[in-house]
Amino acid sequence: MDFAANLFSAGTLSQILVGLSRTTILFIVSSGMSLILGVLRIPNVAHGSLYMIGAFAAWSVIQFLGGGLFAFLAAMIVAPLIVAAVGFVLERGFFSYLYEREHLMLLLLTFAFMLILGDLVKIVWGPEYRSVTVPAFFQGSAEIFGLPLPWYNLFLLLVGPCIAVFLWLVINRTNFGKIARAAAVDGEMVGAVGINTGWIFAFTFVLGSFLAGLGGALIAPMVNISLGMDHTLIMETFLIVIIGGLGNMWGALLGSLIFGLTQSLGILVWPQFGIAFPYLAVVAVLVVRPRGLLRSTW
Amino acid sequence: MRKITWFSAVVLSMFCIAGSGVAGDTIKVGFVDTYSGPATTFTNDVLDGFKMAAEKINAKGGVLGKKITWVTRDDKFKPDIGLTMAKELILSENVDLLVGTINSATALAVSDLCRKEKVPFLVTFSKSDKITGSMGHRYVFGMNENTEMAGRATARALAKRKFVKYWIAGDDYEYGHAIANGVFDHLKTLNPKVELLGQSWWKVGETDFTPYITQILAAKPDFVIVATGGGGMVNFQKAAQSTGFNRKVPFYQHTAIELSTLMPQGKNAPEGVYGTANYLFYYPDTKENKAFVEEFRKAYNRYPKSGALYGYMTAEFIAKSFEKAGKVDREKFIDAMEGMTLPSPVGPMEMRACDHQVTLPMFFGVTKTSAQYDFLIAGDIVSVPGKDYMPSCAEVAKARAK
Amino acid sequence: MRRSAAPLLLLLLPATLLALPHVLPRFHTYVASIVLLTALLATSLNLAIGYTGLYQFGHAVFYGVGAYGTALMLTRSGMPAPIAFLVGPLAAAALSLAMGVICIRLSKLYFGMLQISLGSLVWAVVYRWYSFTGGDDGIHGIPLPDAIASTKGAYYFTLAVTALCVFAMYRIVRSPFGKVIQGVRDNPVRAAAIGVDVKLHQLASLVIAGFFGGVAGSLFVVVESSVFPDMMFWTFSLEVLIMCLLGGMYTFFGPFVGASAIVLLRVFASVHTRYWGLILGTILTLVIILLPDGVLGVFVRRSVPKETPGA
Repeated sequence: MDFAANLFSAGTLSQILVGLSRTTILFIVSSGMSLILGVLRIPNVAHGSLYMIGAFAAWSVIQFLGGGLFAFLAAMIVAPLIVAAVGFVLERGFFSYLYEREHLMLLLLTFAFMLILGDLVKIVWGPEYRSVTVPAFFQGSAEIFGLPLPWYNLFLLLVGPCIAVFLWLVINRTNFGKIARAAAVDGEMVGAVGINTGWIFAFTFVLGSFLAGLGGALIAPMVNISLGMDHTLIMETFLIVIIGGLGNMWGALLGSLIFGLTQSLGILVWPQFGIAFPYLAVVAVLVVRPRGLLRSTW
Repeated sequence: MRKITWFSAVVLSMFCIAGSGVAGDTIKVGFVDTYSGPATTFTNDVLDGFKMAAEKINAKGGVLGKKITWVTRDDKFKPDIGLTMAKELILSENVDLLVGTINSATALAVSDLCRKEKVPFLVTFSKSDKITGSMGHRYVFGMNENTEMAGRATARALAKRKFVKYWIAGDDYEYGHAIANGVFDHLKTLNPKVELLGQSWWKVGETDFTPYITQILAAKPDFVIVATGGGGMVNFQKAAQSTGFNRKVPFYQHTAIELSTLMPQGKNAPEGVYGTANYLFYYPDTKENKAFVEEFRKAYNRYPKSGALYGYMTAEFIAKSFEKAGKVDREKFIDAMEGMTLPSPVGPMEMRACDHQVTLPMFFGVTKTSAQYDFLIAGDIVSVPGKDYMPSCAEVAKARAK
Repeated sequence: MRRSAAPLLLLLLPATLLALPHVLPRFHTYVASIVLLTALLATSLNLAIGYTGLYQFGHAVFYGVGAYGTALMLTRSGMPAPIAFLVGPLAAAALSLAMGVICIRLSKLYFGMLQISLGSLVWAVVYRWYSFTGGDDGIHGIPLPDAIASTKGAYYFTLAVTALCVFAMYRIVRSPFGKVIQGVRDNPVRAAAIGVDVKLHQLASLVIAGFFGGVAGSLFVVVESSVFPDMMFWTFSLEVLIMCLLGGMYTFFGPFVGASAIVLLRVFASVHTRYWGLILGTILTLVIILLPDGVLGVFVRRSVPKETPGA
């Protein structure tokens, strides 16, 4: 394959757009993980389970409302809220009592939740594949330089930056955001100043869960919704958060960009091993900048 | 100290709770298969098909006066758990024979175990051609098609068509490569004019195919062999539908026309996709098939998929073989099953004696919408008889000798 | 472990273990073998995590490399079995050294994630290299010397090797070297200040952990006579880590207890219910809430200082 010619063709621009739309889902899920890991210091292995519940919940909402654009948009809001509720229960019911523990023990707890949530999904929704169709509004694709880019991917390309802006506003312009960032760096001090860190942590976890659920809901029309989704994204999410810098939103965005783009461009360079490129990128980043690309909270 | 003793007591007692298998007045069948995760949608069909046949047989008095009973163990799609569960079924539950599993690696490992323990193992759903091919032996039986067979059948169907420039794409694991190579290698022998422009392989579980699709379209092949399996089938078809890939370039997937792939997508599955399958509930439109479908729907309230056929025929072969053997003896069971031909919803099925591989027809078709159903079905169906696409006994013998 | 308990256990335990195959049915003997080798694996991991304080998230790759090394030697080279059983762990140790040199510059979580990434690359090579490693089908029907091929033979071999290795690790942990790495774990800055080569000690610890992880892999080959790429996948690394945490990572026998519990639960719970995940998850949750330092951690006052935020 003449890869030099490939690299500079119109195909490249198309590949970049595709890589960017892929970035959206990665970013949304990773930002949730980054919040939880950066602020609460919980390595949340169950994040994938929350993502999976988001997808199944979206299916249920769309089934209940009978399909169509309205049902889809409703699902995009309701499903993440359901997941956020699950997150609330987990945080208030378990994590809030255990923040003093070893990080690794918290990892054990999230692993336990991953097992439990996985089986709960099996009990509630059963083992059959579910599928959500892209609403008619988004079906089909646009022609970019003669190559197809599905409208739904373009939709994701728009949603991504909106979420990024929203998160930036929350973290930098609200009181909650300021306190959360302070608590991430020195929780004791924040408590000593008289602020109730409990609710801050709860809200952080809920927001992180909401984001995981949103990622699952957004990807639902593109994939086969099945048990096992909880394992697929979790490794990539962790790696993105690590290379981006813990607790750093822009880091999550940067990491997602690296992941999304190295894979779609890697396919042009070396089609058979495109899958290895993101991992090589991770290794490269960590060797050069061991603490991640951007500033992390711990 | 007390806590340790208590803990040890709990641990030791767990050893004792294990299954109390005592083989007695029943024919005990052990299922080791994947009942969690995405594969469950297939394996449930196998079990349900089996149950339907077994219950019918039991109602008529059973086999040699004994009822067929079964126990299931979940291998969670992991070969090491599968091996452990298989050992548990053989050693603790004392099953008369094993049935399973959808994971080819597990099937091969369990097959080797059964060879050592001399327990018959009827493989359902796994598609590795090694099971009855190079790694086959006396104690293992293949109850469905494998990648070699699917490849040959498809090559026969494609060789007659005018496609010359091919592209191969698929899930990057053994099954994907086996299907792709199976199809293309045989195609090349049948039609030397075909050429391979290139290949794309993505990780198993990939959800975004757009980058690969754009790359393939840029290369302008006449036809694409898409070697996906499991969940990848639906994922790829969705991507094809949304990018219009199926309208731009014809492509083929093994099991593209199966119900498991088409039903979840409803009316939105892509049209014009070529595929092969071993079972379609609406074809052939014979009395036997219609009766089978009717019975299955009444019992389980859904249409049967390929797994149901495999499970059903597995029960039939088990029952008839023990009957022919005259007693519940494993060696006689194996001898009896070799060469046996039984009627099935898709016509007569023979259990070939030389390699213990079941012979069944392969259907090749193209997806199209249907006025009658809420999902797409296959059209332009060509039925390739089993003997036309199976490797010969000589070829199998040669593969095993290596 | 409290002093009074030790001598009693030292007598009872070996006697039970030696008599096991003659008392229990074949399947249980087989399960006992799996418990032993998994316990060895977990103990080896704990050397890196509990005693050296490294976030060893990719340990399964050493287990897998040990297993594949031995399996490939037994099926492809003409070498006698003892050499095959050495090659596996040595390959694992070599890999551990190579990966360690790359990862050691990072600390904590970053070390762990880099290790997982490198481990995933190794896994990907094994998974794709069908002609050599059998790809995702794995390798089956591995020939073993007759003496250890039977269930009983495999059990005694596993018992002997596990006992030997656990004893070796116990001595290492009690030795001056062991004290130094614990010092490094607790306060690397102070250790460096008194002249300890921190990185060298961490590397040594990694190599030892990798070696014994590889031994556990070789034992798997003996017990199952198969290998699979799943053995080195990151989800299994996580499981082994969970075993250490469950049993108590600041005790020597904690991982042993954790491994036993999880293997036994997994085998016997699966037999009775489809919802094994729910059961294991619930048990783990209870353990974490009630037993903060794992099961055996209850008996050992933890003398390790908690990490300060922002450190």
